[in-house]
Amino acid sequence: MRNINQMLEEIITSRGKLPRATFEDRKAAEEGGCGVTGFIASIPVGGRHIFEPSVQMHNRGNGKGGGIAAVGLVPEDVGVTQDILDTHYMLQVALLDPNVIRQVEKEFIEPFLDVCQGSRIPTVDDYREVNGLDVRPPDVYRYFVRVKPNVLDRFITENNLKGIDPHQAEDEFIHQNSYRLNQKYYASLGEKQAFVLSHGRNIMILKIVGYAELVAKYYLLDNLRAHGWIAHQRYPTKGRVWHPGGAHPFIGLDEALVHNGDFANYSSISEYLKQFNIYPQFLTDTEVSIQLFDLLRRNFNYPLEYIIEAIAPTTEHDFDRLPLEKQQVYRHIQQAHMQCSPDGPWFFIIARNDVSNKQFQLLGITDTGMLRPQVFAMQNGEVQIGLICSEKQAIDATLQSLASEDKRFCTVADRYWNARGGSATDGGTFIFTVKDAGKGDGSKTLTCTNKFGDIIKIPDSTKPGVIPDGPPVQKIDQDLDKTGTEELKEYCCKNITAWSYQTLQDFCKKMILLANENDEQKAKAIAVLTYLNDIRMPVGEKKRSLTLQIIRDSLSEIFIATPKLDSNSKSQYKYIDRGTRNTLRAPQRNETILVLNAKEFPPEGEDCDARLIVTAYELGWKQFIAYGYKGQRFCGCGLSANSGGVRIDVYDSSGDYLASGIDGLEIYVHGNAQDQVGQILKSGKLVIYGDVGQTFMYGAKGGEVYIMGNAAGRPLVNAVGKPRGVINGTCLDYLAESFMAGDPLNGGGFVVMNGIIVDNDGKIVPQDTPYPGSNLFSLASGGAIFIRDPDKMIVSEQLNGGELVNISENDWELILPYLQENERLFCIKIDDLLTVKGVKRKYTDVYRKVQPVKAVDSRLRAEGIRNQVSLVIERNKKNEQIR
Amino acid sequence: MKNIKNNIKIKGKSGLPQTVSTPSRYRNPIGKYVVGRNSKCISCGLCAKLCPYGVHPRYENFSQPIRPLDYRCIGPKCEANEYFCVKNCPQHALSVKLNPIMETLGDYRWPAEMILAHWYMAETGNLPQVDLEYNLGFSGGGFDKIRFKSPDPKDYLNIPDEEIDTSILLNKRHDGRPERVLSLPCYGGGMSFGSMALPVLVGRARAAKRLNSLTCTGEGGYPKEFEPYSDNFITQVATGLFGVREETILFAPVVEFKYAQGAKPGLGGHLLGDKVTPEVAKIRETVEGSSLFSPFPFHSVYSVEDHKKHIDWIKEINPQALISVKVSTPTDADMVAVGAYYAGAHIIHFDGSYGGTGAAPDIAKKNIAMPIDYAIPKVHRFLINEGVRDELCFIASGGIRNAMDVAKAIAMGANGAVIGTADMIAMECVRCTHCSSGRGCARSIATTDKELGYEISEEWAEQRLVNMYMAWRKQWCELLRQYGMRSIKELVGRSDLLVHLDYLDEVERQKYQPAPKKKLIL
Repeated sequence: MRNINQMLEEIITSRGKLPRATFEDRKAAEEGGCGVTGFIASIPVGGRHIFEPSVQMHNRGNGKGGGIAAVGLVPEDVGVTQDILDTHYMLQVALLDPNVIRQVEKEFIEPFLDVCQGSRIPTVDDYREVNGLDVRPPDVYRYFVRVKPNVLDRFITENNLKGIDPHQAEDEFIHQNSYRLNQKYYASLGEKQAFVLSHGRNIMILKIVGYAELVAKYYLLDNLRAHGWIAHQRYPTKGRVWHPGGAHPFIGLDEALVHNGDFANYSSISEYLKQFNIYPQFLTDTEVSIQLFDLLRRNFNYPLEYIIEAIAPTTEHDFDRLPLEKQQVYRHIQQAHMQCSPDGPWFFIIARNDVSNKQFQLLGITDTGMLRPQVFAMQNGEVQIGLICSEKQAIDATLQSLASEDKRFCTVADRYWNARGGSATDGGTFIFTVKDAGKGDGSKTLTCTNKFGDIIKIPDSTKPGVIPDGPPVQKIDQDLDKTGTEELKEYCCKNITAWSYQTLQDFCKKMILLANENDEQKAKAIAVLTYLNDIRMPVGEKKRSLTLQIIRDSLSEIFIATPKLDSNSKSQYKYIDRGTRNTLRAPQRNETILVLNAKEFPPEGEDCDARLIVTAYELGWKQFIAYGYKGQRFCGCGLSANSGGVRIDVYDSSGDYLASGIDGLEIYVHGNAQDQVGQILKSGKLVIYGDVGQTFMYGAKGGEVYIMGNAAGRPLVNAVGKPRGVINGTCLDYLAESFMAGDPLNGGGFVVMNGIIVDNDGKIVPQDTPYPGSNLFSLASGGAIFIRDPDKMIVSEQLNGGELVNISENDWELILPYLQENERLFCIKIDDLLTVKGVKRKYTDVYRKVQPVKAVDSRLRAEGIRNQVSLVIERNKKNEQIR
Repeated sequence: MKNIKNNIKIKGKSGLPQTVSTPSRYRNPIGKYVVGRNSKCISCGLCAKLCPYGVHPRYENFSQPIRPLDYRCIGPKCEANEYFCVKNCPQHALSVKLNPIMETLGDYRWPAEMILAHWYMAETGNLPQVDLEYNLGFSGGGFDKIRFKSPDPKDYLNIPDEEIDTSILLNKRHDGRPERVLSLPCYGGGMSFGSMALPVLVGRARAAKRLNSLTCTGEGGYPKEFEPYSDNFITQVATGLFGVREETILFAPVVEFKYAQGAKPGLGGHLLGDKVTPEVAKIRETVEGSSLFSPFPFHSVYSVEDHKKHIDWIKEINPQALISVKVSTPTDADMVAVGAYYAGAHIIHFDGSYGGTGAAPDIAKKNIAMPIDYAIPKVHRFLINEGVRDELCFIASGGIRNAMDVAKAIAMGANGAVIGTADMIAMECVRCTHCSSGRGCARSIATTDKELGYEISEEWAEQRLVNMYMAWRKQWCELLRQYGMRSIKELVGRSDLLVHLDYLDEVERQKYQPAPKKKLIL
């Protein structure tokens, strides 16, 4: 038996015989971002559920390329037996010129492959019936194939591969065969004719020119079931695209990859691959990514962890935090793969069939700089699902779509989180694995692990996750309409643990009825339900996700029942949505609160809901309840200066750029917020009952902010002036880079970072480290960070231009009012924050201050300049004397 | 100075501003020639009577000889004239020779003659009478080797300047946003409060207002002195976001996203601590005396769909604003332009190398970005092939120095140009390239010093700029007349009218003015 390296050599040599065109190291088109979304569930679900999240990602693509992949199909849906599905390669060929099919079959299929089943996959009769399709999608032929034994033998002999695992040889043959096909019918031609979409086992890819969800419509995938789905909206910058060859996903062998971002070192990676006789055919970043992945996995035989390390190396402080033996291995990997590590912003989602381990996987890998948006989520229970998306609203849309069909799914995930690229904590990667549950009934189970194989714990996973039908077990005994708001909140806190789902539903129904009585009761109902939505508290034997679903649905019901603007109602609440947007007018009589249903509004543009808020504000409206968000952007932007006294309450999946630019108004986000929130924020107040995304408060000038959870990467970069606030969680990295917010004790800005998690029971739990990133307060010249770090885990290596000092009495007096407001808003008690391992400590033992290294006193500097000048004069004099 | 104030009329009869003589701030302006007057002079006053250029000033009630205004002197070639003072002087007290400063002033791109000529234009609003080469420099390439083909005399269109249209349209998308027209095919580049003295910036804005053009805040924020001119101020949203607020976005007719600068692509802006005076720090809300760095990318934009979102954001805040996207010139500039178009930009602004003040590091200025003369045709053609050229206003900048450079850029395919350096030259910059050296600009332009920074008055700066641009306009009008064109729009993309000296055979090349060559003492 020859060793793996010799075999690798032979395989690489065999690829040398493949035909290839002149080597191109330029990409065919620039494409930056794109929208990516994917999920994998313990049960197979229909293709229609990738539809909604894809629609949500519209504004991340431009309709010039979309694709989806499915892994873990159901045999009857594709008309074969389970055995064939497991053992045969599913070869899918896209025909841009339908006439070449016979030629393709004659040349590349019939001579080499045993075809078990082969046919054109069904489509809509006429592509013009599918709204939005401008370019006819390719005809796709699907074949279930194995390599003919004699062909495989010949392949092994000819290429000196004796002793190779026949499966490995067969994989290589299939791969090379597809390569030849693509070369002949795609890469070598100006007018492309055909190319291989996918050729893996139990995995398939389809792509079109158009938005991704139209793939599902055109190829009739609504009822085609699979465990895992990924979709991609492409954003090629070139205008005219007539065929989907460059669209994602791209195939390796048994894996499909979609990609958001672009590489600066495309040609360097191509050069690297060239050394292994791998040449690109479609000339995109994504293609070389999967080629690289395929090389590392199938040829180098790396475990996933090493593949991830090779493409997203662990760096800086995180590297130091790795165990010694890992450091040694990683150092070797990094040295060997420096050249092929993609440089630039990227985020991969990979769906794969791990044939040898009989499992399906969905991976999300982020780059070391975390430069692309990414959200992970998971839901546990009777059925399990893991989701990865560019934006959170796509996750919510997937769950809504699933829950509307199958009550075992909930519209709210049990956990949402971000990956920290190239880190020692999670490696920037999470892997959802679906495999046999071992119950003998064929049922499957889903687990989530990070790069290092650590299992991700999901809260509430043991609690019942389905609302049983039937009357409520307990009765609500409280006289709801007579109880005051605060009293009622207290009542709920006390009793909710004992309530069953039905009792909770019953309670909510009563609140809805109450809300319809009069404005006073309505305000109370909204306040109480919002409180239950916002504040973490023990809810007994109920899942928090399902509890939230019930509460949020009830809130929506209250909102939608609000009288319309053109009604005669005397209520101070008025309702507006996209359908009735033309009825917008100035508030009359006692009208004060505009309830805006954002659901049907476009996410941006002249006609978006954010513009409507501006118009309403100009007409005199000051209070808004905006709900039904599905990622609509720019909420609160455009009101300009002096918008004090305005308040917007935002419910559901709010979008990017929320509160970016606000100057006076207050925004309360009752849930997680997204990326680019609070940019250039000048003044006003922003409260977020959840996490916030990337580049929070970039270039902010002021304002007061309170975040209940974490901020993702790069918060408060380049912030100046006097932004102040509290982040109760932590953030991924680059907090307050180039912070220039003056002297906090003299009117400047600061941020208090508590580094805690409020768990589902409302308890304060310190995070593993208050700040995991390698860069804190880098290049900052002003402002300060007050960080809760009783165990002194922050080290000066994380700082670059900042210094750690003890917190003074003046400092504490400065931040105390903000912590008090934080307590009022989030019920995060200062006493609890000061309590470490059960013992209450003094603030000086709990908080630390990060401040800029004292800049040289300007007077001294002026003197320095003077000294320099006199030095120069003296030197000149001397020179003259010498002359 | 008072004199200027009283004389300014906002607009002449053609709708264009009037030029008003606006002499140098300095007593002895630099000229190409030095006129010497020795002690033999008896102050007879003959020279003053003879010289039509006013080199020899003389007052009725004062008979002592005065130092000649030699920057007006046309030099030894005057010998041929009857009025040549040197020959006519009864005492042989006068002499004329080349000013030795010509050897050291300026650099390869902006040679001494070009600088002097622009000073003259800024003073008088006319093209210089002195034999100065103001269209070409010594760079040995680029615009200095490109020439307009000799026009066919039959094409000459004999119409006055007033009837020639030099305007450009900024919004061609027909998207309901204002269709802003500028009277000139160029506007002012971004210069921040912090890099420049405040009166310089306000003067630029006042000039922009009178010229019906625009100027740009740079990323230094929006001092309240700018507000009266807000309709002529582009608000720049740059990577540091200094001074960018909703209010300043709402002020602006055009919002410019500065992704990169041709002078230093891949580097963010950088203002040295010494220039961060209390006033600058206040506007930018930063720490006095601390250097200010802008990140090289937008932290919120790492891809084309982020870019679209970014544009959508500003569009949401200000539904009336036009969007300009300023990028440097990467090798795939064409793709970037198309990306900007699909993201919803009205103006795509490519900034090539060689632009920038002295604050940009030389190594970056001259080595990273593609020269703009390569980028323009590439982008222009690509946009035509994409079928979107007519919907995008394409602005070029970076090393575009003078009126003929602007015309060449337009003929290559741009709609117009952005001018920065020439504005500073009009204010008597000597291109010593020490703009970054704290507050000590020798000519009180690139300084925020509380004394030096107020040496220039707004009115003076305004009128100097108006004069220079009106002189440029004369050049454009003459060029268009020669080709029989009535509008500068007809010139867009007419690269067939251009030749590059390097690609002509010897005989053909002889027909054109050779690229000037000169060894400079550096």
